[in-house]
Amino acid sequence: MLVATLLQAASGPEGPSPAPARAGESSSSTAKSVEALDLAGKAVNPFELAAGKPVVLIFVRTDCPISNRYAPTIEGLSQKYSGTAVLMLVYPDKAESSANIQKHLQEYGYKIAALRDPQHALVKLGQVEITPEAAVFNGKGELIYHGRIDNWYKEFGSARSAPTTHELDDAIQAALNSQHLAPASVSGVGCYISDLQ
Amino acid sequence: MKGLYLIPPRTMILVACALFAATGFGSPLWSSGPDAPAAKVTFNRDIAPIVYQYCAACHRPGEAGPFPLLTYQDVKKHGRQIEAVTQTRFMPPWLPEPGALKFADERRLSDQQIATIRAWVDQGMLEGGPSDLPMKPNFVEGWQLGQPDIILKAEKPYMLPATGGDQYWNFILPVPINETRWVRAVEIRPGDKRLVHHANLLVDRYGSARRVEKDKGSGFGGMEVRIDSEVFDPDSHFLFWKPGTVASNEPDGMALRLDKGTDLVLNTHLQPSGKEEPIQPSIGIYFTDKPATLHPMLLEMQNDGALDIPAGAKDFVVTDEFKLPIDVDLMGIYPHAHYLGKDLLATAELPNGTKKTLIHIKRWDLNWQAVYRYAEPVFLPKNTVIKMRYVYDNSEENTTNPNHPPARVLGGNRSTDEMAHLWLQVLPKGEHPNGSDPRMVLQEAWARHEVEKAPSIFESHYNLAAMLQRRGAMDEAIEQFQAAVSIRPTDPVANNALGAALLAKGDLDGAVQRFNVALASRPDYFDAHYNLGNALAAQGNFDGAVEQFGEAVRLNPEDANAQANLGTALAQLGRLTEAKSHYEAALRIDPTNQLARENLQQIEQMTRGSPH
Repeated sequence: MLVATLLQAASGPEGPSPAPARAGESSSSTAKSVEALDLAGKAVNPFELAAGKPVVLIFVRTDCPISNRYAPTIEGLSQKYSGTAVLMLVYPDKAESSANIQKHLQEYGYKIAALRDPQHALVKLGQVEITPEAAVFNGKGELIYHGRIDNWYKEFGSARSAPTTHELDDAIQAALNSQHLAPASVSGVGCYISDLQ
Repeated sequence: MKGLYLIPPRTMILVACALFAATGFGSPLWSSGPDAPAAKVTFNRDIAPIVYQYCAACHRPGEAGPFPLLTYQDVKKHGRQIEAVTQTRFMPPWLPEPGALKFADERRLSDQQIATIRAWVDQGMLEGGPSDLPMKPNFVEGWQLGQPDIILKAEKPYMLPATGGDQYWNFILPVPINETRWVRAVEIRPGDKRLVHHANLLVDRYGSARRVEKDKGSGFGGMEVRIDSEVFDPDSHFLFWKPGTVASNEPDGMALRLDKGTDLVLNTHLQPSGKEEPIQPSIGIYFTDKPATLHPMLLEMQNDGALDIPAGAKDFVVTDEFKLPIDVDLMGIYPHAHYLGKDLLATAELPNGTKKTLIHIKRWDLNWQAVYRYAEPVFLPKNTVIKMRYVYDNSEENTTNPNHPPARVLGGNRSTDEMAHLWLQVLPKGEHPNGSDPRMVLQEAWARHEVEKAPSIFESHYNLAAMLQRRGAMDEAIEQFQAAVSIRPTDPVANNALGAALLAKGDLDGAVQRFNVALASRPDYFDAHYNLGNALAAQGNFDGAVEQFGEAVRLNPEDANAQANLGTALAQLGRLTEAKSHYEAALRIDPTNQLARENLQQIEQMTRGSPH
């Protein structure tokens, strides 16, 4: 049932076209070996922290107005799945200091954990291109969804008054239900992570 | 009875910029003629000039842009984003199509500039040689025109919630002056510029916005503000802020009048950022000692009454047209629709058959609405027909449709209603018979057009009646006031005005009845007490007149006429000592009040030698 939902979202008349297959982009990283940094600068592997729970990585920047507008939505999802899945913010800008990120978290009322991904290891693993996009891994560390949080934005400067589809929430539900899906993707609208290289 | 909007005009410097842009400023070498080698696009040579001219005014600290675009690193960090938003022309925000008439400070990239940006990104965003980098633009920090003469700051901030849809908040800023002053410039600082999409400053001379505010100083919500004016007081200015607005002086002779007791009302359109933010605007006012000698006015075309858009309608058309009764110079234009507006067009058909496109917005976006000023005034002779044609999209395809699924939408002031408005700032030209104010001719023609178009609308009749009354066409004025009152039987302003017109015609009973209705609706209505006092006095009911003038004086002790009339009514009752004190009060307020002086002299003669 969820497969249908996601596919429909990806190919629906109003949604953006499905992202081209990005299979070739998967890096040599695997869920087991990938590492990012916590805000103290210590290397961490989110999958080790998750201990078998689904892992949800949500990619943001401090200077991306669209990912900033999503802060209450992201924090709401983090609260909703507290204890059942591990949701983490990922800041892929290597020039962004931990201190700035701390300040950003505080300003936007984030309680969710945050990681830095200066080498884009998590970006590659999650096959994300935009902030804000999310990558959802099931309990086995398999990527089951990557892409937009919902359909609030259609394109730059074109936002609905409220989203009408909720791809990320649906995907987290799927991960919790241990549904095995081919990775589905709907591209987000926001700031290009490739600009940060 | 209409919203009045003001904007400082653009400076000549900005006009020059627009011309500079049109001559190929920042044109890329990479796309030059076939003989030129295909040089790679670089930031320093090709991109920086574009970014400095079109982006940096907003994309710098403290301004509206969410991130700075001042250096190579800044721009590179958002390179693909910039490519994407320029391809769709989302940035820089500039809605009108290019046309024969040029706007001041046009912020529109050429197709070539957009292609240059794409090529730069595709070629790997090269920095280029340091010697190619132009000088950074020199932006004025702080108040743009120096320290203002008065700074008004909203008493309390509005707390913008972290999330949700667009918010509309209005701040009331009383102007602390004790006499009429002339204003050469106004700078609007709308609060945190990242959060404010646009702000309209309205002049409220009669405290009409204050009546909407629940707690003093807290402001009030609402997308549209209605400013009521009880007399014909055409305001001449657009005062508008949008991202990138630079404060500037009004043209010579076009100073803005501010009177004692005037409020400025700042209507703001805000967008939540993801965190709660306080919004506390301030306004800088610059005075001049030169009163206005040129009196442009705002002409409001609209057809909200025709807005009844079925759910799902993709191309719903609304039109209005108006024939100019006099020659005018068109100075600026402000099209306005809400979230369903799609294609907004205004044209002028001149008597000689020439057709001009005044503005055409093919992709309306409420978020970037703006007042547009023409680089040069556009002359429109008498009998020119101005036409507006707006197209609305109420289908699911319109992302900004506030209803999901689409629903029937009517005209109205809420953001989920729709509007079809077009304001034109015009300067009447030429000589007019008997030195009559050409704005009155224009206003009367406009009001007549409104009555013909929307005979069920209260304001149409009221506005026409007010113009007729002013030029002495009292019978027709009474007809129109009566039409207004039949639509809103208890409206205090219309009943008071009708009463005053009946009083002028000598219909005392009719007048008294109207003033009583006005006072039942608004017991503290000074004008109605004063007028009722006059009507009762004319009927010989001086007890009643004393009561009404007494109430008027209580409401406004500083009104010399009310004091003098109270004195006269008291004198008629033989209460000479009291009468004397009110005449004296009238003369303290206005030493030139003839009635008070003469009557006071008479009383003094009568009471000479009496024990009182």
